[in-house]
Amino acid sequence: MGLISVALGRLSQALPLLIAMSLIGFIGIHSVGNPVFNVVNIETATPEDIRQATIALGLDQPIWRQYLLFVGNVIRGNFGTSYIYHLPAFELVIARLPATLELASVAMLIAAPLGTGLGLVAGRRNGTLFDRTVLKASVSALSIPSFWLAMMLILVGAILTGWFPSGGRGSTASFLGQEWSVFTGNGLWHLVLPALALAIPNIALIARLSRSGTIEVESLDYTRFCRAKGLSPERILFRHTLPNISVPIVTIIGLQFGGMLAFAVVVESIFSWPGVGKLLIDSIQLLDRPVVMATLTFISVAFVALNALVDLLYAVLDPRVRLSS
Amino acid sequence: MKLGNPFRACLLSTFLISASFWGAADSAQAQERGELRIATSYKLMTLDPQYANLNENTSLLSHIYERLVYQDENLELKPGLATSWRPLSDAQWEFKLRDNVRFHDGSAFTADDVVYTIERIRDFLKPPSGGFRSYVSGIKSVSASDPLTVVIETNGAVPNLPLFFSSIFVMNRPSEGFETTEDLNAGRSPVGTGPYRFESWSSGENLELARNDAYWGGKPAWSKVAFRVIESPAARVAALSTGEVDVADAIPARDVASLKERGARIASVGAARVNFVQFDVSRETLPGVTDKSGQPIGNPFKDRLVRRALAMATDRGILVDKILAGYGTAAAQVFPNGLPGTSANLVPGTPNYDEAKSLLSKAGFPDGFNLVLAGPAGRYPGDAESLQAVAQSWARIGVNAQPSAAPFSVFNTKRAAGDYAVWYGGTSGEAADIILHTLLASPNPERGTGALNFGKYRNEGFDAMLAKAESIEVGPDRNQALAQATELVMADQPIIPLYHFHHIVGYGPRIGSYVMHPRGWTTAMQTLAAME
Repeated sequence: MGLISVALGRLSQALPLLIAMSLIGFIGIHSVGNPVFNVVNIETATPEDIRQATIALGLDQPIWRQYLLFVGNVIRGNFGTSYIYHLPAFELVIARLPATLELASVAMLIAAPLGTGLGLVAGRRNGTLFDRTVLKASVSALSIPSFWLAMMLILVGAILTGWFPSGGRGSTASFLGQEWSVFTGNGLWHLVLPALALAIPNIALIARLSRSGTIEVESLDYTRFCRAKGLSPERILFRHTLPNISVPIVTIIGLQFGGMLAFAVVVESIFSWPGVGKLLIDSIQLLDRPVVMATLTFISVAFVALNALVDLLYAVLDPRVRLSS
Repeated sequence: MKLGNPFRACLLSTFLISASFWGAADSAQAQERGELRIATSYKLMTLDPQYANLNENTSLLSHIYERLVYQDENLELKPGLATSWRPLSDAQWEFKLRDNVRFHDGSAFTADDVVYTIERIRDFLKPPSGGFRSYVSGIKSVSASDPLTVVIETNGAVPNLPLFFSSIFVMNRPSEGFETTEDLNAGRSPVGTGPYRFESWSSGENLELARNDAYWGGKPAWSKVAFRVIESPAARVAALSTGEVDVADAIPARDVASLKERGARIASVGAARVNFVQFDVSRETLPGVTDKSGQPIGNPFKDRLVRRALAMATDRGILVDKILAGYGTAAAQVFPNGLPGTSANLVPGTPNYDEAKSLLSKAGFPDGFNLVLAGPAGRYPGDAESLQAVAQSWARIGVNAQPSAAPFSVFNTKRAAGDYAVWYGGTSGEAADIILHTLLASPNPERGTGALNFGKYRNEGFDAMLAKAESIEVGPDRNQALAQATELVMADQPIIPLYHFHHIVGYGPRIGSYVMHPRGWTTAMQTLAAME
């Protein structure tokens, strides 16, 4: 009962969000320029070619009619055909999803434990050399632009040492009808640098959050009671402090994971990692409207779903959330 | 602070080293099989060879499909699937086809496949696919008089027909109907006669090809060819420097020196294309063009003296030497000097600011005027930077140009809407006359001329000369006539030719040499394997 009403509530929130997103996205991409010039070769096409292509793409219609057509198609589960690749737009997004999913997951698998661990230890040893190092390193990691970080990783990890490949996905293996890099050694090897590039700023972010949480919790009464009871510092840290600081950490992990799924554009571009973010930015540049809209819709749904998942995790992690609802 | 005990560090480095050996073993295996790995900026959009006439598709699909006629690196026509061709009359051409050519599925290549190809372009493909229809629009009928002879009847004389066939990939006729673009993209193997067979692709990512052992032109050099689409130039350069690929195309000129230091070799050629400044010469007043106090003025570009003065005040040396780092040729016509149809008399001059200023005074603008110089950003090498450099040159004669760069699609939309008075552009074509035809001939939708003549420049004398040149059969006479027409039109300065940028390709030690093509294609056929 409770679960159903929560789910319904979520849906009722998601629907207006999706409509708003599609409107903004649609108007935005339509105001940028005319995609016909990317579809026909402007250097050889005749005005007649351009006119015919405009009609074929439905670009001669007023924008509101184009939008209604788009919504009608989406309701029937059709995002249209990519202007550029001449493939169904949603298929293109789905085909790019494994690459993004594995990149974001590996990056988060590095960032979440490492960031939380560093933060816990730094907070526990508040003021020590270790704490100050973590703090300073996290400030620099957060202020480094991601394109520079990615290039430095390529420079050091690929060009100077030759240890890792400089880009691409390497060999893939088929699983659930999609191609995945994580299941081959070569693919994993290709994952290291881009995953690090995505993980490093997140390690810093999570470490800072968990550090400040730890410092706060460590000064609270129950921690002192635990200490008075004679529990070992490790037990206090992992059994009592960690669960109590986990709500903001889980939130940020959820948000950042969604962000990586959607907007790992810079890293994906530099490592020529064929993911959703790169697809989005390519499609915006080529004004491939169906693909842009399909990608944006996917991203919105992913964010809504992730947020719902994060809310559910709160209830698991924090009994107070369960009680209040 | 303790970072970790030495044993762990040792373990880590052992792991890393063994892993890197593992990676190396992998690539050594690739070499044994004779795999050629190419990083390309060209995004393969479709497997339909007649979907869009863009280098993106042409470059990669030319491994699979072939043309009746080839353009060699001097843009001369060479036999491809056709061994010879001749006009039977003014409106009739005969193409003799190569014998013993087989498609990848084993079926024989015959005249019927050529008929199918032409019919597919002319009658079947719907927009937005296109760019090819203009090549067959002059064809009235096409028939196979015997399995190795195609006879084509045209509406009037089309002396350029063999040249047009150098752009059309021949497909084989399926058992019934026409193949749709969707069919081809859905992964049904594209079947051609080319030196490499299709293996797999994923749109905009990679294309894998395998050797066609039955190729009529002899055994292709590589057993496998793997294209990886890498759009970021820095990433292409990195992939080449680490040896992950053997060839990387569209290398930025600024990276050439560092690539050479790392042992890569560089091949380059002046592109069969021109980048230029184009004036709107038709409207009475122009957006963004004002006198020095900001008041609107009449269209100054209607006056040839103004165009001449601006051309004279344009420093092409800076564009070529500084912006293109030497990988460019200063331009005075539509093709690099020496290619068919170019004039040896047209050479780019050095800027002469004093004379330009006096021309400007003579035209009634002693103080100059203000304008907005528009252009695309990131479309051509040196595009946005050129706007700045040209604006600086023009400032020396009192013409204050405000550079305004926009993404290509935005730029095109605004240019089509008439938002620009003077702009930077670029164009290419199979032959000099095709550029003259679209860029400088008077706009005439019926004749299909002037499609890129956005400035609405009209010169009847030039139109007549060009039409006459175009009626001559391909050869020295035609080239001579084209050169003369170019001289006539360039004297009027409807555009300022700026430069022909160079196509730059970098290649690694497994490649012996790389033959550049001025059209800018990147193919495995252009490589010669290093002797091992």
